[in-house]
Amino acid sequence: MSTPPAPDQLANLLARTGMGDRRAFAELYEATKSKLFAVSLRIVHERQVAEEVLQDSFVKIWHHAADYAAAKSAPMTWMTAIVRNRSLDIVRRPNLEIADDEDYFASNMPDESPAPADALAAKRDEAQITRCMKGLVGEQHKAIAMAFFQGLSHSEVADKLGKPLGTVKTHIRRGLLKLKDCLDGQVNHVGDDGART
Amino acid sequence: MKLVQPELQSRLAAEYVLGTMRGGARRRFEDYLRMPQHQSLREHVADWEAHLTPLANHLSGVTPPERVWLRIQAAISGSTTPALTGTSKHNALKMPANKGLWQSFAFWRSLGLGASGLSAALLITLFASNAFRPAQEPMMMAVLEDQGVARLVIEQPKSGLLMVKMVKPWMPSPGNSLQLWVIPAAGAPRSLGIVNGTGETKFATGDMDVKLADGLVIALSKEPVGGSPTGQPTGMILCKGAIAKMPPKQKPRPQI
Repeated sequence: MSTPPAPDQLANLLARTGMGDRRAFAELYEATKSKLFAVSLRIVHERQVAEEVLQDSFVKIWHHAADYAAAKSAPMTWMTAIVRNRSLDIVRRPNLEIADDEDYFASNMPDESPAPADALAAKRDEAQITRCMKGLVGEQHKAIAMAFFQGLSHSEVADKLGKPLGTVKTHIRRGLLKLKDCLDGQVNHVGDDGART
Repeated sequence: MKLVQPELQSRLAAEYVLGTMRGGARRRFEDYLRMPQHQSLREHVADWEAHLTPLANHLSGVTPPERVWLRIQAAISGSTTPALTGTSKHNALKMPANKGLWQSFAFWRSLGLGASGLSAALLITLFASNAFRPAQEPMMMAVLEDQGVARLVIEQPKSGLLMVKMVKPWMPSPGNSLQLWVIPAAGAPRSLGIVNGTGETKFATGDMDVKLADGLVIALSKEPVGGSPTGQPTGMILCKGAIAKMPPKQKPRPQI
């Protein structure tokens, strides 16, 4: 009830932004900038590029906020998708960094800081995907987490993991299938612990 | 590519949202997504976005620098924003009325207010270009506008240096120069120098006696070739904007 910007509030800010309300837009930016900047930074690595992505994304959000209502998704999901897509469009990766081998999903697990969109529904979505991710076998989990968080392509994941490309593709494809089963199962049986297939 | 099978649609949507679909395939997929008949594909993407993006909540937030917001504001509208026009009253120039219009802060402030989407496109172009990507955190920046349209951007990459960049090249005007002025909190405008109307101009500001402060106005005027003969602006004001300082990293004493 008294949580900071809940999805409802973000949706409200987006709706007002769609009507050209600059103050609402500023509030929206304040509430989401840190998470969204982190999302982009993780993919593009360079702060300047991530700044550009954030700029471009919020300019897009400003111009398309009126379309949000039709998107039928949670506000943070809608905005995160914009930032991720822009990041993936813009990312140029001439060199692969091998440094953060261990720096994938697991190391990101505990973040106790309240997310801007913290609310029950958002928490539930997050809990679901987190649990389903945990249900994946090691290699699938690794490959999918690396792809998601770092915006890596199949071949980049393969390089980082030192696996053949075909193997990585298979891991990702099978992992995604398992995720889908798991997530669909959870939608139908919330709290069902047998969700791991 | 036929995308009739739900399984295939879901798989492609998943790889798209995950980000492993790249390059040409990604662009083609986006083309598909835009086609009216591919509603079910859009739904698969929406499903996967709803499923996967909450993972991003695991990332700890990273605060972006203030300049990002300044640029977003500059980009979405040429209309004034508190950050770019300087709202603090203490910056208002207190000058004798007989010094004339040129030295009236209200006059400067009154110019170029109004909204226009045009500057958005221009600024996006500008900031997207490699040419205008500051090598480091600027100490301050200002966006000079004319009737709500951004015309010129100034950044101070380091103490004593100003980088001036036209949003788009100025129409050459034989017999005239473009001169840049800073309007101090007290006293007459100081010339920063002549600006190259078609590209980038750098100013060393080391020997200037005015400190660049938040909210101070910078303006561009049209002057005779070589600059104003009087040392004060005489021609038409082409655009103007206020200085917005960036949050200091260490001890900032930007002297100009």
